[in-house]
Amino acid sequence: MSSVALAIATGLLMGVVFGFALEKSRVFEPGMIVGQMQLRNFIMIKVFLTAVATGALVLAALHGFGYVKLVPKAALYSADIVGGLILGAGIALAGACPGTTLAQIGVGYRDAIFTLVGGLCGALAFAYGEPWFAKSLIGTGEKIIFTDLVGIPFWQGAIALTIAIVIVLVLMERARSWRADLGADVDGNLDANSATKAHGRMAPAE
Amino acid sequence: MPSLYDKAWSPYVAGVAIGLLQIPAFLMIETALGASSSYVTVGAAIAGWIDPSLLKIDYAAKHIAANAKNLWQVALVVGIAIGAFLSMKLSGARRQPISPIWTRALGSSSPGLRYAVAFGAGFLMLLGARIADGCTSGHGLSGMAQLSVGSTVAVAAMFAGGILTATLVLRRI
Repeated sequence: MSSVALAIATGLLMGVVFGFALEKSRVFEPGMIVGQMQLRNFIMIKVFLTAVATGALVLAALHGFGYVKLVPKAALYSADIVGGLILGAGIALAGACPGTTLAQIGVGYRDAIFTLVGGLCGALAFAYGEPWFAKSLIGTGEKIIFTDLVGIPFWQGAIALTIAIVIVLVLMERARSWRADLGADVDGNLDANSATKAHGRMAPAE
Repeated sequence: MPSLYDKAWSPYVAGVAIGLLQIPAFLMIETALGASSSYVTVGAAIAGWIDPSLLKIDYAAKHIAANAKNLWQVALVVGIAIGAFLSMKLSGARRQPISPIWTRALGSSSPGLRYAVAFGAGFLMLLGARIADGCTSGHGLSGMAQLSVGSTVAVAAMFAGGILTATLVLRRI
């Protein structure tokens, strides 16, 4: 198999696992994403931080023992801030991020097809404008990682980050269990939950 | 034990599964998990057909090159749709065409309005992700796991933009 064909096969297989985990965690649901951004639902941040901590631990080992090179992106502060703010606004209105849009299409959310087409147009608009963006906003920067700033090996910082995340997650889970954020139809729609209950109580009076 | 037939797994089980995907990404593709550059690959490949002058822009040409990294990421996002479909079929968590939360969030049950908002949201999402050079996967999962300073700033901005928009523009769900 050529290296490109192998890369495609690897990508497909990894994507199936990724999509499966996104669906099972329910984090792809618009109710979870909008709920997180309205600070009413915390499943997204729990999945996100767990995946970051796992990734950091994996990379601490792989990089620490010299199997892989890190590939951090350059720090381009104005682009990171302006782009991040626009991306965040899009995530809230889409109820999805670029990856979970595909999971939404997979389970049959029809509006996600519009998100996808809008996304392709947005990416294309950037590609056309890239020479201008590069000159006037993005500029150039260095690939800085926190452990280089402090002067310690990457693996130590990655393990410290993992420990910090685990502590935060334990405290968050104690404050509110993930099950409380699922909703009756596992879509983060917590209002339907309370509506059914309220309706149930009201039924005899009617 | 989590089963393939469950409707929901704990966010911690799912999060570990996603984080472990960095192993094949780094070892086999020599890159980190990411999703948003695949939109440039597909978008520019389609548009380049209609307008070949697009390919004179280095950025577009670089993204549509049929190399391992570009096509790996396109395959990854296609795989996400397949994986989510399989998981939904196994658990029976069937979805309506539009999530019921949108009626409340948008204050209207019009599918046309939702489709228009979704299109605009997708546009903003990818314009922003490409300006920042990464999305929730590339800057979020991968950048933060690599302790990248720029990615941490980008993730903070993403949550700030998301929280502001969800609070000021959308209604409470």
